[in-house]
Amino acid sequence: MSDNIIETSGLTRSYGDICALKPLDLHVPEGEWLSVMGHSGSGKSTLMNLVGGLDRPSAGSLRVGGADLLALSEDGLARFRRESVGIIFQQHHMVPYLTAVENVMMAQYFHSVPDEAEARTALERVGLGHRLKNRPGELSGGEQQRVCIARAIINSPKLLLGDEPTGNLDHKSTVMVMELLKELRAEERFTIIMVTHNQEVAAWGDRTIYLDDGVLVREERMSS
Amino acid sequence: MIAVKLIPHLLSWFGIVLILLRGFPKRRSVVIATSIAGFVIGVVGAFLLLRVLTGSVGFVIITSVLGMCFLFLWGVSVAAIYSRAGRGVTTGWGVRLVSTPLCAGSVTAISGIVAGAVCSCTLPAMDSTLMNLAMLGSISGALAYVLAYAALAVEKRISHSFTVSPSGMISAVVALQLFSSSSIIRLDLFSPLSMKVMKFAHDFVHQFMESMLIPDHVFVWSYLWRYIGLLFGKEIGFWGGMFIWFTPVLLVMCAVQYERLPSVAHIRQGAERRKLLAAAIRQRRLRLVVPFIALLIFTAAAYQSCYPNVEYWDPKPIVVTATSSGEIIIPMKSDIDLEDGKLHKFLFKQGGKEARFFVLLGPAAKLTVDLDACAICKPDGYGQADGTVICYYCKTLIPLETVGKPGGCNPVPITFTEKKDGVHIDALTLINEWTNTVQSTTKGKEGGK
Repeated sequence: MSDNIIETSGLTRSYGDICALKPLDLHVPEGEWLSVMGHSGSGKSTLMNLVGGLDRPSAGSLRVGGADLLALSEDGLARFRRESVGIIFQQHHMVPYLTAVENVMMAQYFHSVPDEAEARTALERVGLGHRLKNRPGELSGGEQQRVCIARAIINSPKLLLGDEPTGNLDHKSTVMVMELLKELRAEERFTIIMVTHNQEVAAWGDRTIYLDDGVLVREERMSS
Repeated sequence: MIAVKLIPHLLSWFGIVLILLRGFPKRRSVVIATSIAGFVIGVVGAFLLLRVLTGSVGFVIITSVLGMCFLFLWGVSVAAIYSRAGRGVTTGWGVRLVSTPLCAGSVTAISGIVAGAVCSCTLPAMDSTLMNLAMLGSISGALAYVLAYAALAVEKRISHSFTVSPSGMISAVVALQLFSSSSIIRLDLFSPLSMKVMKFAHDFVHQFMESMLIPDHVFVWSYLWRYIGLLFGKEIGFWGGMFIWFTPVLLVMCAVQYERLPSVAHIRQGAERRKLLAAAIRQRRLRLVVPFIALLIFTAAAYQSCYPNVEYWDPKPIVVTATSSGEIIIPMKSDIDLEDGKLHKFLFKQGGKEARFFVLLGPAAKLTVDLDACAICKPDGYGQADGTVICYYCKTLIPLETVGKPGGCNPVPITFTEKKDGVHIDALTLINEWTNTVQSTTKGKEGGK
């Protein structure tokens, strides 16, 4: 059995005449931290959406965690997103009138059942034990992103996707978030795929791939 | 016509088999075989019973079996809620018992027999010849076979996550049996139940008052009697009956709702733990569906009982007068035929007083004259249907064989003489009997209908 969590072959996504992702063969081993770089419109987010089950490919094959995403029904795909994937966006997409702990519990609710004690523990793990009852508007950008990380990992996903999670953060907050992700990956052993424009952020990963106009043009392995 | 009458009963039986198949998922072949056999035995057995036993004995036996099924549901519901609420209650033996083929077979066979017996009560009059019995057995067997396999086909299409708890299964089966039987007035349970409750409350209050000598008690103020009077109304019977009727299925719903969730403390990963809990909660919710449907069926059965789809023979009273000698003479044959076996109502008025009575030729060709009122209920009168007369007030069914005998909810008999020119009734006796009866049952406030 393959140790790759992601296996794509000829993965393509077109929107009408525009081919956002040209046939891509990509293998990501389990537990790897893969950074994806490229200019705007290079197909980074398209790749993320396909791997995260948010979109369906136009052609090719795509297996994530052993599941053939093309063969899954809409319900199956929703279950896959719920149980196997955690996503952190650049914008935090939190519910503004819920507290930090309630935002995390909402992810639990859609997954299975809410458990406040577990949500509190998750926030304590990301260093927000003192901010449990604060609403998003009362948190700094870095704190909001840490709530998002707690929300993304609360359901123990096999795969954590980050779409420029540090894009809105200052350097200090960026380092804090990256360190946190590194620690969590060591504990939970999930795979990270992170889209970024920032070379410094990409350097936190094990490997970086570069996309240009929907084509994988370069691959770089980071020295540990 | 008979086919139309049979449809609700056959559909009820189809539902019973469907639920039993889901209730005993590992015993499908046992359920199919015993349900078909039970249904045929029920149809043929009840057919023989109703023709061999005279009067209403056959109906009494079938009604008693239905009553026992309802009592069994009460027992199951109490056991179910006790096992959920009681601490340290072990139900392992019960679960093991339910999963045995013996349990599946016996529950299914009894359900089939009861359903078959109820169906049999709607059949037209036929002689119990061997030929008729063989024909009845083969037709009911073929019908049962087709319906049982149709139920099996439907059951296989229902999602596997849709499970039924044993108590939920029993509640739905009994609900369907009672729904089926409530359309036959002589098998109906809800109205007699309401009546029993009403009579119990009535007798209890009487006994209590007598034993405590409360009318003379210094602490019982006169306005309290208004509230005590409520206990003598028809409503107490209806609401008491509703309580007894619906409580078991509500208890079953509570028992399912409070089923214990599996222990997940040993699972380290929170998401896995929550997934297991969510699956258990979802299963529990799905298990509530069948008892909820049973609740709706119980409601439909009670409605059917309160508003039966039966047309009672209830002719408009014919006004009669007395002769100069103070006798009311009703000719045996005039515009109406007193000997046609139908209830004939008359109204006699004299000096501002009136009395309603009826003349009826019973099954043993014995003529009887009775007040259109009994000694217990408000004088709402009687209607006739299906070998019985019914008291409109308390819905008690009185077999035609017992009309003319005094007591209980029977119409109050009136002495009369049968002569060549017709039935002779003493007008004064009639007026006095009516006045006394109505005064004692309404305290002189209401005159009935």
